[in-house]
Amino acid sequence: MNVREPQRNNVVTQSLAQIGACGLFLVTLLAAIPRSFRYVRETIRQLWFVGAMSLTIIMVCGLFVGMVLMLQLYHVLSIFGGTSASGMVVALSVYRELGPVVTALLFAGRAGTSITAEIGLMRATDQIDAMEMMAVDPIAYVATPRFLAGLIAMPLLCCVFCAMAVLGGHLVGVTWLGIDNGTFWSNMTAEVDVHTDIVNGVLLKSLAFGAVVSLIAVFQGFTTPPTSEGVAYATTRTVVASSIAILALDFVLTAFLM
Amino acid sequence: MTQPDRQPPDDSTLVRIRGLTTVLNGKTIFDALDLDIPRGKITAIMGPSGTGKTTLLKHITGQMRPDAGEIRVNGENVADMSREQLYKMREGIGYLFQNSALLTDFDVFENVAFPLRQHTQLPEVLIRNLVLLKLQAVGLRGAAGLMPNELSGGMARRVALARAIVFDPMLILYDEPFVGLDPVALNQVLKLIRTLNQTLGITSVLVAHELEAVKQIAEHVFLIANGKVVAQGDPKTIANDGSPWTRQFFGGEADGPVPFQYPAGDYAEALGFSGAAK
Repeated sequence: MNVREPQRNNVVTQSLAQIGACGLFLVTLLAAIPRSFRYVRETIRQLWFVGAMSLTIIMVCGLFVGMVLMLQLYHVLSIFGGTSASGMVVALSVYRELGPVVTALLFAGRAGTSITAEIGLMRATDQIDAMEMMAVDPIAYVATPRFLAGLIAMPLLCCVFCAMAVLGGHLVGVTWLGIDNGTFWSNMTAEVDVHTDIVNGVLLKSLAFGAVVSLIAVFQGFTTPPTSEGVAYATTRTVVASSIAILALDFVLTAFLM
Repeated sequence: MTQPDRQPPDDSTLVRIRGLTTVLNGKTIFDALDLDIPRGKITAIMGPSGTGKTTLLKHITGQMRPDAGEIRVNGENVADMSREQLYKMREGIGYLFQNSALLTDFDVFENVAFPLRQHTQLPEVLIRNLVLLKLQAVGLRGAAGLMPNELSGGMARRVALARAIVFDPMLILYDEPFVGLDPVALNQVLKLIRTLNQTLGITSVLVAHELEAVKQIAEHVFLIANGKVVAQGDPKTIANDGSPWTRQFFGGEADGPVPFQYPAGDYAEALGFSGAAK
């Protein structure tokens, strides 16, 4: 059996080469955006697959994250008699950090992997080469619509996630634990700032995460070896690389936006 | 946009290859290969597995750039072409892939219609008629609504063939077109390739191993081995030209100029017998 020896001695070099190749791929992708305008229907179709089809997992997870957060906060804040602030803390936590980060992680697992696997299989079955041979640019037809769809879908999904998390917090805090409904909403509206929390937190972060996850997913799909093993590894790499990139980028963005 | 190095198209030769040298992963695939594909004829490229027949097709379409040498299609040097120029040239080339390469998101009809939708503004009714015409030609008009995963290997190949000819190209490259076809479908595909060649004057290049099928339609055969053209000529006579290459390839012999065994170490040693023999 021929098993290729893993090259352990140049992991750093390989990682840097991957990042460099990914950067060059991004340039190619951005350059193809004008050419991809003629494939608007394909972009809309991808928006449906990566956006609308991810709604269920985003909504359910958002609801439970909000519920758990409220439960934990209520018990901690009750020690200090500050349970009335728990709605506001839930909202700020979700808008600033949990919403964009968890949505991006879920998006990488749900949509990122499917993008990588789909493009990887297209390569393995020569569909990408067939497009090239039919004089159809696969970057403009396959890669860019998926990248743009991820870019558009992520902020929308993040908004849905945040709304569901606040709803979950309300369900547990107001309906179950008896926090006053008026206090819950008024504290929240008083402390949540549209620019700092919604624009910088929800929209800007999720837009950045959407770009990173979609780029990694499309890049891994296009560069995977055209074998079943290659596609499996590429899908795994999409989740691992996306998760690390999301958390690292979150730290950088938070440091700059705070 | 820079213009590719262009020579006046030769009336008799559509594809002219000179000094083609390709090295992949340290292995020399082509070593200063010279080859002319005549215009309007059916040419077969044959040779043992791994000699680079598919690679040669990829060079002709510009999917791969050579390490040295030039490939001229209709007088234009493929290696000098920009992406736009390559795409323009490919609009006039049909390519049948070994594994059909049908787009799995689309049904049979949409697969065949795909190039028309991408490159023309034809009305829907005309696209429909053109697609049905091509599907009828490959005997699969009734399968227009099927998805690729509902097709057998032979059917998928015929759909891919319909897609390759939907634009009535000047050149069609067939990569192993006869694999997986039952005798009826094989006969129909042979007839179709011949009809396309005779009625539309399309130049056809076949990469195939089936000598009997090739004999029925090809007008010229190139036998490639060790990176060079080792024999060429009329398919009915090339098999009997007496050279060691043709004798081994067409006679199916393990011993000959092309080794059957991939280079390896001592067999007895690999089996652990070397110690016992001492």
